[in-house]
Amino acid sequence: MDATSLGPHISRRFNEDLEKLRTHVLQMGGLVEKQMSDAVVALVEGNGGLADEVSRNDHRVNAMEVSIDEECSRILATRSPAASDLRLIVAIIKTITDLERIGDEAEKVGYIAARLAVMERPTDRYREIKNLGRLVHQMLHAALDSFARLDADAALKIVQDDRVIDEEYEAIQRQCITFMMEDPRTITRSIEVLWVSRALERIGDHAKNICEYVVYMVHGKDIRHTAHDALTRQVMGEDLR
Amino acid sequence: MPRLLLVLGLAAVVGLITGQMLACVLLALGGALALNYYRLYLLERWLRHRRNLDPPNLSGPWGDVVALVVRIYRRKKFHKKRMLEVVREFRQLTSALPDGIVVLGRDREIQWFNPKAARMLGLQRKVDFGHRIDNLVRNPEFQSYLDRGDFALPVVVRKLTGQDIHLSLQMVDYGEGQKLLVVRDVSREILIEAMRKDFVANASHELRSPLTVIAGYVDTLADDPIIDADIRHALEEMRRQSARMQAVVDDLIELSRLESNDSEAPFIFVDVPGLLALMRRDVIARPDRTCEFQFESESVSGMLGAESELHSVFSNLIGNAIKYTPAGGRVVARWWTDAHGGHFSVTDTGVGIAPEHLPRLTERFYRVDPGRSRASGGSGLGLAIVKHALQRHGGSMDIVSEEGKGSTFTCHFPDARIATRD
Repeated sequence: MDATSLGPHISRRFNEDLEKLRTHVLQMGGLVEKQMSDAVVALVEGNGGLADEVSRNDHRVNAMEVSIDEECSRILATRSPAASDLRLIVAIIKTITDLERIGDEAEKVGYIAARLAVMERPTDRYREIKNLGRLVHQMLHAALDSFARLDADAALKIVQDDRVIDEEYEAIQRQCITFMMEDPRTITRSIEVLWVSRALERIGDHAKNICEYVVYMVHGKDIRHTAHDALTRQVMGEDLR
Repeated sequence: MPRLLLVLGLAAVVGLITGQMLACVLLALGGALALNYYRLYLLERWLRHRRNLDPPNLSGPWGDVVALVVRIYRRKKFHKKRMLEVVREFRQLTSALPDGIVVLGRDREIQWFNPKAARMLGLQRKVDFGHRIDNLVRNPEFQSYLDRGDFALPVVVRKLTGQDIHLSLQMVDYGEGQKLLVVRDVSREILIEAMRKDFVANASHELRSPLTVIAGYVDTLADDPIIDADIRHALEEMRRQSARMQAVVDDLIELSRLESNDSEAPFIFVDVPGLLALMRRDVIARPDRTCEFQFESESVSGMLGAESELHSVFSNLIGNAIKYTPAGGRVVARWWTDAHGGHFSVTDTGVGIAPEHLPRLTERFYRVDPGRSRASGGSGLGLAIVKHALQRHGGSMDIVSEEGKGSTFTCHFPDARIATRD
């Protein structure tokens, strides 16, 4: 039995359906990842065309969410899955909601990038946004990887990485406030930068949610709203398998 | 065997002498049996612990068996060593390869990959065996490449994580139903290509301004009535050549603009029949036109796209047709729509194109007949512009041509681009 199979089923079709569903979710994830990284690149490089493309492509993310949702409902209705299969479906339904929200945030960043592209660029060329974008993108990528590998341990590590992103977001916030106080002419741009960093920080939160669903899917434990220490104890300490 | 007979004979003699025939023979046979069992035991022990023990020194048939086993064992050891060497060599070879290689099974599940592929695609050894490749390499471009199922050409994707790294991915058939995914880092090529494009764009912009000044002065001088006739002749030639140069530079700028923007063309309504009607007026008014020009608009539908780019597509194709059609010939332009989308074709009764030139026709500065086309004043960029503009509209072009009879250039636009004015 290969590593991807989610367990033996009497019906081979059911197995294939579940596999296909998972692949669709990851395809949607890939699109969202690209949307997000394109939006940040558009902002950092001042590429208005790319920014427009990001906002134009958001409908594709939404369409994928709807079609995966329908697929999940169909499987729930016709196969009545149980145990780990049911957890997989539930986790997928939740994951795609978060992916769709990430898509919306990326669209927002793209929209702001298009507006900023025609404005004067700051001397630091949005270095801090680039940095935050890289961190968030790494987190999202790792989250989707853990989903693909059903790797709960990696997912747990990513959940803890979210703190770094929150710190970076706060640093940008403070920096923007300083800029605005020094020179009121930068207020418009600083507010836009704040919006962008807020959107990126939200993407990090959504990626964290996806990791939590991965842990739920693998161990059947709900680790949402749990403090870090308790979380580690809960998942690492006990033998859940 | 002879020794056994000898022992038996000896036992029989002793039996005859002592009168205990049966007991002596039985004793001899029993001794022989016990000896054989002992040798068998030695053999068995040696085979079981072959690694640590030397082969037993046995005589008779048991010795032959031992020799045979030793020989087979030695041969096996030799082959095993050879096999290991081959495997090690293969491993070294695949790790030394500059390209990443992933072996995929029937369902695109990962069966094996070399370290380079792991580094480029972010795969983990052992962990990722059995996972589907598209679950881990999630670039939308790669996904649609897999869905398309046409693996003649590689697909170039920008690596999702990390800095500006471009990877070229290509699927190759391999074994029974298996596939090989070859991964190459093409960031350098992409960078050089970008530099080349930038250079062309910058150079043409730099050439444009001085050229405008020169053309302006030449224009003024050529029209000056006090200039001598022979100088005027030279000035006329200068005027023609500078106009040509300006056309080349304009086409270069247009081409680099199209190239630098590899995204889709915007979806803005363009009234194609109206645009073509306007162009028809221009064509009919052209002084160098010697052939008949006819225009058939069979559809009132327009298109969603970029008007300036569609204009260059149509005007380049019509311009070419007129240029290569001798006096008395006929050029027909058609616009029609059907279930597949919109189509625009230009048919001429001109010189035609030999089949060997067709595949290279849309290359920059490609000339079918260098002498002729330079005299006719083309920039050599027209069809390259057409190709790029069509690509941006999701369209394609096919060319049918027969030397001496004429050619037909047909552009196809997808149905999604066709629209009517609301």
